[in-house]
Amino acid sequence: MSLTFDPTTLAPYLGFLAAGARLTALACALALAGGLALGIVVALMRTAASPLARRAAGIYVDVFRNVPFIVQLFFLFYGLPEIGIMLSAFATGVLALSLAGGAFSSDVIRAGILAVEPGVLEAAQVSGLPRLAIVRRIVLPIALRSSVRPLGSVFVNLVLTSSILSAITLNELTGSAKIVASDTFQPFEVYALLLLLYAMLTWLVSLSAGVLHRRLNRSHR
Amino acid sequence: MRYADFTSLDLLLLLQGLGVSAALFAATTVIGTAIGLAWALLRYYRTPLLAPGVAVLAELLKNSPVLVQLFLVFFGLPVLLETDLSPEQAALITLSANTAAFIYVIAVSAIESVGRDQLETARVFGLNRWQTLRRVVAPQAAAFGLGPLAGLLVNQLQVTSLISVIGVIDLTKAGAILNQRTLKPFIVWTVIGLLYYLMARLIARTCARAESRLRGHSQWKGL
Amino acid sequence: MQSVAKRFGANTVLDGIDLRIAPGEVVSILGASGSGKSTLIRCINGLEKLDGGTISVDGHRVDDPRQLQHVRRCCGTVFQLFNLYPHMTALQNLTLAPIEVLKLPRRQAEEEARALLASVGLLERADAYPAQLSGGQRQRVGICRALAMKPRYLLLDEVTSALDPEMTAEVLTILAKLAAEGTTMLFVTHEIEFARQISNRIVFLDQGRLLADLPTARFFAADGGLAQPRIAQFLSKMSKS
Repeated sequence: MSLTFDPTTLAPYLGFLAAGARLTALACALALAGGLALGIVVALMRTAASPLARRAAGIYVDVFRNVPFIVQLFFLFYGLPEIGIMLSAFATGVLALSLAGGAFSSDVIRAGILAVEPGVLEAAQVSGLPRLAIVRRIVLPIALRSSVRPLGSVFVNLVLTSSILSAITLNELTGSAKIVASDTFQPFEVYALLLLLYAMLTWLVSLSAGVLHRRLNRSHR
Repeated sequence: MRYADFTSLDLLLLLQGLGVSAALFAATTVIGTAIGLAWALLRYYRTPLLAPGVAVLAELLKNSPVLVQLFLVFFGLPVLLETDLSPEQAALITLSANTAAFIYVIAVSAIESVGRDQLETARVFGLNRWQTLRRVVAPQAAAFGLGPLAGLLVNQLQVTSLISVIGVIDLTKAGAILNQRTLKPFIVWTVIGLLYYLMARLIARTCARAESRLRGHSQWKGL
Repeated sequence: MQSVAKRFGANTVLDGIDLRIAPGEVVSILGASGSGKSTLIRCINGLEKLDGGTISVDGHRVDDPRQLQHVRRCCGTVFQLFNLYPHMTALQNLTLAPIEVLKLPRRQAEEEARALLASVGLLERADAYPAQLSGGQRQRVGICRALAMKPRYLLLDEVTSALDPEMTAEVLTILAKLAAEGTTMLFVTHEIEFARQISNRIVFLDQGRLLADLPTARFFAADGGLAQPRIAQFLSKMSKS
């Protein structure tokens, strides 16, 4: 191997890489949905009146933010079968991403909830609305609307973290790239390309978040 | 069917892994901070070609997975440069560069948080750019940057766990070895997780203490 | 039915107040800033907790959480800072509570809401968001929102204090109309002239204590309310500004 940089030899493998990219996209989309749902629940718990709920949610966030993702992933991947839960690598990966994503997005959503003007909350309470309706129709719509941009960066983080799923033999984008690299003996080209692909992907996500934010807030701010 | 139970040698393995993780974290933090600050200086001095180049590099490092960066350096560089690279060397290079990118962003943002009027005042008093930086901007920027720095350090600690994938025998790799041998994933990974957690807490506590000392100092100045 | 009120200190903001309001009455609460006027209203709709004494509206007590919901249904509140839901149109602001609490069908709620908006001259703005409305318009929506629940009693907390004189006039016209129609209203206000014109009764609070509770004419009479030095002092200060 000489000091060449020849990306054209990767052309036949693009289809394979595309399949990996699709798997990444699918895993991330599912994890985003799961993480968002979890994040909303946890954020509500962290802003609840009950100190028990706050504590429990606080511990969950604390753990998932201070333990490396790969350790979380291995814990689930090797541990779940021990207690009889047989999940595919894909399912385990999505689960792990959702749990981690939930912790980070709960931070963002919690900030959004705390930013709801107390007067608006009072108006809702005073009109006799039950608590669930207040959360569903007033608090969450307002909080989520202001959280779109920071949630975008949580999603970016998710996409980058998804590369770690290759460590549990999942053939998402990074996993597929490893195979291509060993096939072509051109790891530099493969991984450089991969770097650019991920950077483009995350840039696209950030852009979409910005667009979504502007659309949602067109007439409100 | 258990392979083997835990032995006291496992404790040694664990400590060794812990040491490797901690050492690599410390080394890459120091090197990364130095490089990142140097990059921020380039931006402060608005060096043509280098400043924007560094900005692009930082964006790339920030917006791509660390694992892929590790693969690129460990698998890719040796082929490109026709040299050999040990896993530890690759880890050092990659994580230092990655840390540098984030330090750069924090430093730039912290410098920009120092009000424009400070810079103007310094200029009016005749200070040159370096003096302004050293006496006026840097102390204030440091106070701004400490918060995000704490978060970054905790994050980079987690990131060190990825070096296990390219074969460095760090704390995570030690866990993988133990897991494979004893087949007790719950115990192994909980212990590993706990050790990382404690290290992260230690870092957070140290940064908080540094911040209160820095803040306290500046408050006294205010009197 | 009566709304009986008797309160003791909520961190001594309110100190032993006894008040009775009958349906159809329009009562204004006057007093200096910090005298506890807003706190009084906020105790009625449950936004502040009582530390002593009781409030009941139509026989429902405010300190019982289950009964509080009943109280909130029959009291409409209009706020000084409007507190409209920013993510909903004017129409949606009005229809939210009727649909969710009164279980009105959407069509009916919207019809009634539009009628209300029309009565305050805002029908064309029904689909505008609060950010697109002026202060006076927002407060008119706020009043309609309170009325949409068809409350027995209307609580108004300094509803014109955040408006400039022109918008204040808009809102006061509507309130005068409501008073004339027989709505029971409890005002906290700085608009002395307005209070004089439309209220049946004036209540004066000073540092959490009730200094006077008189029919309007008596309150402004030299030998009635004005006989009290604090009240005279207050009124002269207010008329100067």
